Amino acid sequence: MKSPSAQRRLLAFGVPAVLLLANLPASAADTLYLYNWNNYISEDTVRRFEAHCGCRLNQDYYSDNEEMLAKLEAGAVGYDLLVPTGNAVESLIRRQALRELDKSKLPNLRNVKREFLDAWFDPGNRHSVPYATSVTLIGYNVGKIQELGLPTDTWALIFEPKYLEKLKGRVTVLNSQRELMAAAMKYLGHSVQEHDPARWDEAKRLILRAKPYWAAFSNSTYIKDLAIGTVWVAHGYSNDMFRAQQDAAAAQRPFSIGFATPKEGAVLAVDSLVLHKSGRRPDLAHRFIDFMLAGENAADVSNLIGAGNPNAAATPYILPEIAANPGIFPPPAELKRLEMLRDFDPKLRRTLSRMWTEIKVR
Amino acid sequence: MSAPRTQPAGLTKWAVTLPPTLFLLAFFLVPALIVVVAGFRETGEFGGLAPWPQVSLDAWRFLLGDVIYLEVFARSFLVAALTTLICIVLAYPLAWLIARSPKQRRDVLVLLVILPFASNFLVRIYAWIMLLGPANLLYTPLAVIVGMVYAHLPFMVLPLYTNLEKHDPALLEAAQDLGANAWTRFWRVTFPLSLPGIFSGSALVFIPVLGMFAAPELLGGTGDILIGNLIKEQFLDNRDWPLGSALAIMLTACVLALAGLSAWAAKRGMHGTEAIT
Amino acid sequence: MKRPWLWAASLAVYAFLYLPLAVVVLFSFNDSMLNAEWVGFTTRWYGKLLHDEDMLQAAANSLLIALVSSSIATVLGAMAGLAMHRYRPPWMPLLVLTPVAMPEILLGVSLLLFFRQVLDLSLGLFSILVAHITFSIGFVAVIVRGRLAGMDESIFEAARDLGATPWATFRRITLPLIMPALLAGFLMAFTLSIDDFVITFFVAGVGVNTLPLQIYSMIKVAVTPEVNAISTLLMALTLTLILIAARFAPDVLKGRS
Repeated sequence: MKSPSAQRRLLAFGVPAVLLLANLPASAADTLYLYNWNNYISEDTVRRFEAHCGCRLNQDYYSDNEEMLAKLEAGAVGYDLLVPTGNAVESLIRRQALRELDKSKLPNLRNVKREFLDAWFDPGNRHSVPYATSVTLIGYNVGKIQELGLPTDTWALIFEPKYLEKLKGRVTVLNSQRELMAAAMKYLGHSVQEHDPARWDEAKRLILRAKPYWAAFSNSTYIKDLAIGTVWVAHGYSNDMFRAQQDAAAAQRPFSIGFATPKEGAVLAVDSLVLHKSGRRPDLAHRFIDFMLAGENAADVSNLIGAGNPNAAATPYILPEIAANPGIFPPPAELKRLEMLRDFDPKLRRTLSRMWTEIKVR
Repeated sequence: MSAPRTQPAGLTKWAVTLPPTLFLLAFFLVPALIVVVAGFRETGEFGGLAPWPQVSLDAWRFLLGDVIYLEVFARSFLVAALTTLICIVLAYPLAWLIARSPKQRRDVLVLLVILPFASNFLVRIYAWIMLLGPANLLYTPLAVIVGMVYAHLPFMVLPLYTNLEKHDPALLEAAQDLGANAWTRFWRVTFPLSLPGIFSGSALVFIPVLGMFAAPELLGGTGDILIGNLIKEQFLDNRDWPLGSALAIMLTACVLALAGLSAWAAKRGMHGTEAIT
Repeated sequence: MKRPWLWAASLAVYAFLYLPLAVVVLFSFNDSMLNAEWVGFTTRWYGKLLHDEDMLQAAANSLLIALVSSSIATVLGAMAGLAMHRYRPPWMPLLVLTPVAMPEILLGVSLLLFFRQVLDLSLGLFSILVAHITFSIGFVAVIVRGRLAGMDESIFEAARDLGATPWATFRRITLPLIMPALLAGFLMAFTLSIDDFVITFFVAGVGVNTLPLQIYSMIKVAVTPEVNAISTLLMALTLTLILIAARFAPDVLKGRS
């Protein structure tokens, strides 16, 4: 009867673990920590910035503003830079979580288009530099839509049973109470900030009437569903639609993906670079922002993921088919019909969330 | 059951009891109390929590004054129960086969159960999306159940196997000698003996299913909302920590009450089987 | 072979377990970014992977965290299970089950609040380890207790009567007895750890990445073949590690003597 000691068994697991631990890299002294959306900066640009500043750029990722906010709210620290959307910028500023920008270190700030400066969420751009934009709109399978003779420039496509009847089970909408509510409000001719209970109720009825025709609430799977062809119409973000379009083309699907901003108006999201107070290297962070404001680097995010670009100097570097896409770069007249989402107060948020639960349960 | 309270208490007892107790006190109970308290606080203007020392029952009033949340709870418990049941049915033959295999083969078979789970949860979910999509089953309640069962099956197989493995084959032979047929042997001997394994496995399946949100979110249709989604939404969408905490406390309390109840029922129900053990 | 129906049923369940895996492995060799239908064979995703330092670092972190946390959780969980069975401290079942019952988001947020605002600890590998141990203990404890339930206690008493010290009793009798449960518990803790996204998301410090975090951020758009490739490699690596462990400590896998 042989029974080796428990220590030896443990050692068998412990020793390789300790060896692995020894291999972990020491964190470099000159490291800039960026808490970013995934795939927002190309590897090439990262390399060039690292060479330019003689430092390391370390990225952690989030896929939703709220994830980032929740983590910071609970006390996470150490991020030099964040890339929040407008409403999150406002919330961070009012929480006094951001460091003020030193504009003397940002000569390239002049490259930003005037219409994106001085936004309501940060008057005078004391804390934020606009970096990328997207529009929440409708993406569609061009072949199917033509075949069925459906319009593509109106929210009616996802809300009106007379259209949806031809699309049953082939439509997804965003799994986001604010975004879906905003689309409904726009369709009903109201502002996305509308919070009159009667109008909320009106929107709820509109959504409930359309819901039986929808396949799912989806925040990400619709990209692939569109590209494969199982979903024909999706409510989603312009950069995601761009991705679906690219994927479908790359896979040589027999159809193409189009996307357009409904004529009733839609939600515009502006993501900005901001300095978090807990960051240790504001010097490097400023250098990074200025570097990213140079036209060639600013164009990166548009070429990489099909984001709209608030940087005027970037335009010559952006691939022509992207720069010319009105879904990505709304023409000035259309820009006027776009609205950014602003946070509701906690009470309204709770009421809306309850309504959202009801929408899903019914 | 004769618990050996006769053991010399003292050193051994504390050496075994203290380390896990202290660890969980420090790294579970204390942190958990923070969020339990959060359920009784107010939402901060921009999310998180309002500054101390505001105390409020708003979240609870909101939660308890509305049947809609009760409905989501009921639905979630139904899904969890169904998942657990299917897991038992699927896990039993597998666990039995492993337990009755020759010793050299047993560990390989156990490893084969767990190996798929060394990949990545989301990758597996997306693999199911690829499988269910062409079958027209994606975005249905059935897809959610499939995802849930898949994700939790090993947590049923393993406890069941560790239980079945210790059964004495002599018992079954004795039953056979007494003329019991295969079904009677299973139903009267093996199954009652394996109840502790089923209970362990059910706890490890039923409970985590209630908190899951990824499967309903990615596989489910427009009506598939479970309590896990609701809780996630409060923290990662709606910035309503007090309501999220209140929901989670209610869920945890329900689960613990249920666990206590079934332990009590099991104790009563198993008096008959104890003679065998 | 005896019991053909048992084999048939078991094979069907194994097939269920491996069906999605087959998809993952197959598509890691598929020459299409879209990951939807078979286009052609390629190994380029693996080539790409080998040059993806972030991914490799994340994989190394994940393996390290999984090995260490599941080892510690197995020891602590076994103690808890043993204690529940033998000494029945009234608080133990509650203390062990509640972390399993608590939704993981809450566990993540609470640990983050605790680490940062109570302990003022900087987040890193350590905080992830502690979090993973915390949620794994319960799983191990439940399985160990399930194993011990209904065990014949007389052999422990016999050992004691023969003058065996508690340690000797544990090593010679208890340990071999609960070994299958320890193995199963360890494996469960390992997969829980290597798979955890939600809790890790909260307690990971800046610049510390694990595989699920890395994969999640890539998957947001769609599963790329590269993600399939890393999943395939991870399974292969896990298998190898277990086999190595089995070689250096053969009794881990055949604990029964």
